[in-house]
Amino acid sequence: MNYLLHILTMIGLSIPNILGYNLIFGRGKFLHFGPIATSLFSSYAMFLTLRETGNYLSAFFVGLLASLLLSSFFAWLALRLESDALGILTIAMHLALLSVVLNWSSLTRGALGLPQIPRITGMLSLPVFASVSIVIALLWIFFMVRVHRSWLGRELSALAENRAHAEALGINRARVTLSAFLIGGLGATITNTLYPQYIGLLHPNDYQFSNLIFFILCVVAGGPGSVRGVVISIVLLTSLQELIRFLPLPLGLIGPMRLLFFGLILIIAVYIRRKEIFPMQRSV
Amino acid sequence: MSLLSIKSLSLTLGGQPILRGIDLEVEKGEVIGVIGPNGSGKTTLFNVLSGFLKPTHGKIHFKQTDMTGMAASERARIGIGRVFQNFGVFREMTLEENVLVALEALPKEQRLVLGDLKKAVHSTLKLVHLEDHAKKKANSLSGGQMRLLEIARTLVSGKELFLLDEPTAGVSPKMTGQIADLILTLKKEGKTVLIIEHDLPFIQKICDRVIVLDVGEIALQGKPDDVRHNGKLKELYFGADPTD
Repeated sequence: MNYLLHILTMIGLSIPNILGYNLIFGRGKFLHFGPIATSLFSSYAMFLTLRETGNYLSAFFVGLLASLLLSSFFAWLALRLESDALGILTIAMHLALLSVVLNWSSLTRGALGLPQIPRITGMLSLPVFASVSIVIALLWIFFMVRVHRSWLGRELSALAENRAHAEALGINRARVTLSAFLIGGLGATITNTLYPQYIGLLHPNDYQFSNLIFFILCVVAGGPGSVRGVVISIVLLTSLQELIRFLPLPLGLIGPMRLLFFGLILIIAVYIRRKEIFPMQRSV
Repeated sequence: MSLLSIKSLSLTLGGQPILRGIDLEVEKGEVIGVIGPNGSGKTTLFNVLSGFLKPTHGKIHFKQTDMTGMAASERARIGIGRVFQNFGVFREMTLEENVLVALEALPKEQRLVLGDLKKAVHSTLKLVHLEDHAKKKANSLSGGQMRLLEIARTLVSGKELFLLDEPTAGVSPKMTGQIADLILTLKKEGKTVLIIEHDLPFIQKICDRVIVLDVGEIALQGKPDDVRHNGKLKELYFGADPTD
C-alpha cells in the first residue's frame, strides 16, 4: 500500500513541473533545456532561506521569486536567440548553476546536499502527503487545460507554427513567451517545494542534466503540447521507472539500465513525432 | 491627407540596394496594384511596410503616425493587415482557432466593439462559405480556401490597410473570382488595399492605380489601362524590342 502511495506521490509531484515544461517545449516549441536549472535555483533559494529563517511561507516566496527571475531570463534569451542557440545556452546555464551548487560548499554543503528538510505541519504521514500531492497535481492539470485552451495556448501555437504570420496578426511575442516561461517557472516551484520535503533532503544529484531526459521523454511520448497525453505519459513512465527496480539485476546496473531504457524510448518517440517537435518554419 | 505615406524609402541588404528611394502616397479607400518583374522588390517593399525589415533610409507614416521603427505586431495592432504569398493560415489549428487567434490579438477596445468573439468567428467563416469546416484543421483546405480564410480573417480583424501578396497565386480560376469579389468587398467598405499581382486582367478589374517596380524603384505608375498600354511595361518584362 505504502509503495503504491509512494508511486502516486511521485506522479503527483512530477506533474506541475513537467506540464509547465510541456507548455514551453511542447506547445511553444522552444528548444529550452533549462527546466532543471530553474528547479535547482528555486529549490536552493527556498531551502537555504528556510534554513536561515525557519519560516516556510517566506522561503516559498523566495523560491518562487528565484524561479520567476530565472524563467524571465530564459524567456529573454528565447526572444533573442535562434532555437539551437537557446538550447545550448540553457544547457550551459544549467551546468553553471549545478557547478556553483556543488562548489560553494560553505553555503550549499556541495555534494552532501541539505539534509533534514522538514515537512510542513500536517503533511507528516505518507497518506496525507500523497493526497496533497495528488490534489495539487489535479488542480494544476485543470489550470493547464485552461491555459492551453486560452488565448495564450493559441498564440503560442501560432508563434510556433509561423512567427512572421503570427506577428502580422498583432500577436505580441514578448508577452506570450514571457507568460509561458513564467507558468513553467511556477510549475517548477510547486514541484520543488514538495519534493525535497518528501524525501527529507535537497540533493544536487536530483538536479543532474540526465533528469531532463525524463522531462523530454514525457512530453515527446505524450504528444508535445497535449495535456492529456503528457499526464498519461507521466503516470506510465513514473510507474515504469519504479517497476524497473524489481528487475533481477545487480543494484549498480539498475540506474544505467533505466537511463538506457528511457533513452531508447526517447529515440523512438522523437523519431515518430519528429514533425511535431521540429515543425518547419516557413519564410515570409 | 494620405492614409499611408512613404518617403525616400531605401533598403540595402548585404551591400546590395533592394529598394531605392521609393516615394508613395496612398489615399484611404484606394486599391493599388504593385507589379514588376521578379526581383524588382515587391515583396521586400511589403516586408518593410509590415515591419519584418527595417529600412536603411526613409520614413513611413500611417494615419500621420511615424511607424518606421515599429515592430510587425505593433503595426498589425494599428491597422495594417498582411496576407502572405505562402498562405498565412496556421495549418495545425482549426479554422475556428485560426480566426479566433486573430481576433484575440486585437487591442482590447477593438475586441469590445466585436462583442461575442465566437459569433464574429462564425460570421467570418460564413463570409467565405467555410462555416461547415469550422472544426477541421486548416491543412485540410485547398489553396484557394486557405487564401479566402486568410483574407476574411484579416478583414474581420478591422484592419484599414491590406497588403495582399499574390493572393491568386496557385489558386483555381473559380477561386480567383471569389478572391476578387472579396477584395471588391474590402473596397466597398472603404478599406485601402495594396496588392502584388502578376495577373494583369485581375489587376485591371480591381485596382484604381498601378505602380510598377523595377530594380527597387517605381518605374511607372498610373491608371491600370494606361499602364497596361505603356510600352515601358513590355520593356520591363520582356526587354527592349530590337526592331524598334
